[in-house]
Amino acid sequence: MSDLVTGIRAQVRDLLARRRVEYVVGYETGSDGVNARPFFAYTTEEADRLVFDNTCTHNLTKYLVEPERRGSTIGVVVKPCDARSLTVLLAEHKFPRDVVAIGVVCPGIVQRTREGGDGEAPQARCQVCDQHTPPACDILVGEATAEGPVLDQFARLAPLEAQSAAERSAFWSQQFERCLRCYACRQTCPQCYCDECFAEALDPEWVGVRIGRAENWLFHAIRCFHLAGRCIGCDECERVCPVKIPLGLLNRKLRKEVLDRFEYRAGTRSDERPPLETFRKEEKLDLA
Amino acid sequence: MTAQRITRQGLLDWLNGVAAKATLIAPVRVEGIYLFRPIVKIEDIALDYSQSTVPPKEWLFPRSDTLFTIERLDRAYELKPPAAAGPRVLFGIRPCDARALAILDRLFLAEPADNLYEERRQNTVLVGLACARQQLPECFCTSLGGGPQEAANVDVLLAGAGEAYTVTVATEKGQQLLSGATLRDGGEMPPAPSLSNQVPTAGMAERLRLAFNSSYWQRLADRCLGCKMCTYLCPTCHCFDIRDCDVGGHAERVRCWDGCQSALFTKLAGGHNPRASKAARLRQFYAHKYLYFPERFGVTQCVGCGRCAHFCPVNIDIRETLRDLQTLEVCPHGSGETARRREPVGAAFGDSRASA
Ligand code: SF4
Ligand code: SF4
Ligand code: SF4
Ligand code: SF4
Ligand code: SF4
Repeated sequence: MSDLVTGIRAQVRDLLARRRVEYVVGYETGSDGVNARPFFAYTTEEADRLVFDNTCTHNLTKYLVEPERRGSTIGVVVKPCDARSLTVLLAEHKFPRDVVAIGVVCPGIVQRTREGGDGEAPQARCQVCDQHTPPACDILVGEATAEGPVLDQFARLAPLEAQSAAERSAFWSQQFERCLRCYACRQTCPQCYCDECFAEALDPEWVGVRIGRAENWLFHAIRCFHLAGRCIGCDECERVCPVKIPLGLLNRKLRKEVLDRFEYRAGTRSDERPPLETFRKEEKLDLA
Repeated sequence: MTAQRITRQGLLDWLNGVAAKATLIAPVRVEGIYLFRPIVKIEDIALDYSQSTVPPKEWLFPRSDTLFTIERLDRAYELKPPAAAGPRVLFGIRPCDARALAILDRLFLAEPADNLYEERRQNTVLVGLACARQQLPECFCTSLGGGPQEAANVDVLLAGAGEAYTVTVATEKGQQLLSGATLRDGGEMPPAPSLSNQVPTAGMAERLRLAFNSSYWQRLADRCLGCKMCTYLCPTCHCFDIRDCDVGGHAERVRCWDGCQSALFTKLAGGHNPRASKAARLRQFYAHKYLYFPERFGVTQCVGCGRCAHFCPVNIDIRETLRDLQTLEVCPHGSGETARRREPVGAAFGDSRASA
C-alpha cells in the first residue's frame, strides 16, 4: 500500500472518529479491479476502502455543490487541480468553509481509453501540470515537492489557433453535431452548479429542446463563456463525453483569453471573484 | 433454410447494390468511436467494428423527431406531417441491439402504435453482424437469454470476419434483400465467443420489490452525477420530452430524448418532484428495466449490452448492481460488504428531506 493511501486512510479515520465531518468523498477501486471511482466513506471502517493512485481522475469537488448536500460538513480528497476548483467555489461564496479538504501530492493521472486498450500515458492536463502539491487545503497527504518550471498550458491549442475562423467554425460544427446533450460534461464539472442551467431553462427558453447542431452549438458556446476564468482545466468534461467532443480545447482557449486579458488564472485566488463575474470602473468601454 | 456464405468482396458488392436502392446505415469510425451513419462510400463501413457508442435505436427513435410542423396561413394554421421515411437498411447491428429493437417494438407498436416509429420500422431491414468476440468488457447478453450469434431479431445475420461470412436468412424481408447477392452453399456458423460475465438476472423483479426502500440506493447514488448518458446510450431506453419550438418563421412540435436520471425529468409545474433524490432516480433506472417493464410487457428491458456500465463516468456498473440486489439483506453495498450508512446521515439524503 502506498504512503499516500496509508496517509489518506489515517486522516479520514481521524476526521470521522472526531465527527469533524459527516462523511468523506474519496476514491475506491472500481468494479474492474483496476480503475478508481468516487467513494463516500461514512464510517471509520469504510475509511479503509479508500485508495489513491494514478487512476484517480475524477474531480470530487463536484459533489460539494450538489443541492442534496447543502448543510452537511464534508471531507473531500483533492488533487492539486481539484483544489483549484475548491478555490473557485470559495471565491464565489458557493458555500461557507464547512469543507475539509484533504490534499494529495499528485503523481499524475493516466489516460484511459474506453476501447479496452488501457494506455499508461499521462493525461493531457498532467503533461502540462506545474502544480503537484495542492494549494489551499486543510490537510496535506504526501511530501510537498519543489515545483519545476511553469509549463505552457496552451500548446494543445496551437493547431486550432493556426486555422482561419471559418475553418474553426467548421471544426466545431462537426464536433457539436455529435453531441447528445446527455449533459455528462456539465454534470461532472464542479464549476457548473446552477440550480437551473440556462440550457434547460423554460422561461425564457434560451436553448431549444431539439438535440441538433444549432442547439448544441448554443449550449457549448454559452457554457464555455460561463466557465471563462472559472474552468481550472481538469479536463473531466472531455473525459466523460461519450462521443469524444474535445471540450478541453474549448475551455482551454477561454482560459488562455482570460489569462491574457485579465492576468487571472482560475483557482489561484480565493479572495477575488473571476473577472467575468465582476466589473471595475476602469473597464468601462468608451462607446461614444 | 440452410446456411450459406458470402465472401468479403461479395458482401461489399452486394452492399453497393443495396445502397443504390435504399438508405444504407452502418457503423463508421468517427474520432475513434463507432456510430451508425448513412453510408456514402461502402469502404467507410467499419466491418470489423466492436460496438457503436450510440446504439442504432437512434435510426428508429431519433434523438430529435419532428412530429409535425405548424405553418401560419392567412387567418388559419396548417399542420404538416413530417416527410415519410424512405426504405432503409440498417447494416451491422449487433445481436443485443437487435433484441433491444424487439423490446422497443413492444412499447412503440402496442395499440395505439406510434406512427413514426412504426413507419420507420416497417421500412427498415435489419442486417445483423454476429459478434466474433466479446465486444465490451461489460457485455452480458447471455445472462438475459440473448447471445453473440442470436438471429431471432434481425432479417439476415452475418457471422464471421475476415474473408468470408456465414449468412443466415431469418425472414422473408431478408430473403428479398439478399436477391442479387452472390451466395455460396455450405456456410458454417463459427464458434460463438464465450463471455467473461455471468450476471444473475433471475428473480430480479422480486428482488427490486424487496429492495425498494433500501438505503442501498442512497449509497449507490452518492456517486451518480445525474447525467443522462446511461439512458441515452442504452439501446432500450425510450423516454422523451415533447415541446413546440420556433424554427425561423414556423413552429414545430418535436419529440426529443429525455432521461430519468435528470432532476428535471419528473419535476412538475409548481415545483414538486416525485423523484426528488438521485437515489430515487437511480432506482428508477433499474426498476424500470427489471420490474415495471417486465410487469407491463412481459420482457426485461435490458439486453446486457454493457454500455451503461462501460460509459458511466463514475463506474455505476449494472453487473455489480444486479449482483448486489441478489444478496441485499446481508450486503447493502458492494460485494462482500456489510457496511451501512449510519443514521442520521442516511435520512439526511432521503426523499422526504429533498422534496421538503
Ligand atoms: S458529454 Fe458530450 S455528448 Fe454529452 S452533452 Fe457533453 S458534449 Fe454533449
Ligand atoms: S469545464 Fe471541464 S476542464 Fe473546466 S473545470 Fe469544468 S470539467 Fe474541468
Ligand atoms: S452484448 Fe453480446 S451481442 Fe452485444 S455486443 Fe456484446 S457480445 Fe455482442
Ligand atoms: S449512472 Fe452514471 S451515466 Fe447514469 S446518470 Fe449516473 S453518472 Fe450518469
Ligand atoms: S441497461 Fe445497460 S446493459 Fe442493459 S441494455 Fe441498457 S445500456 Fe445495455
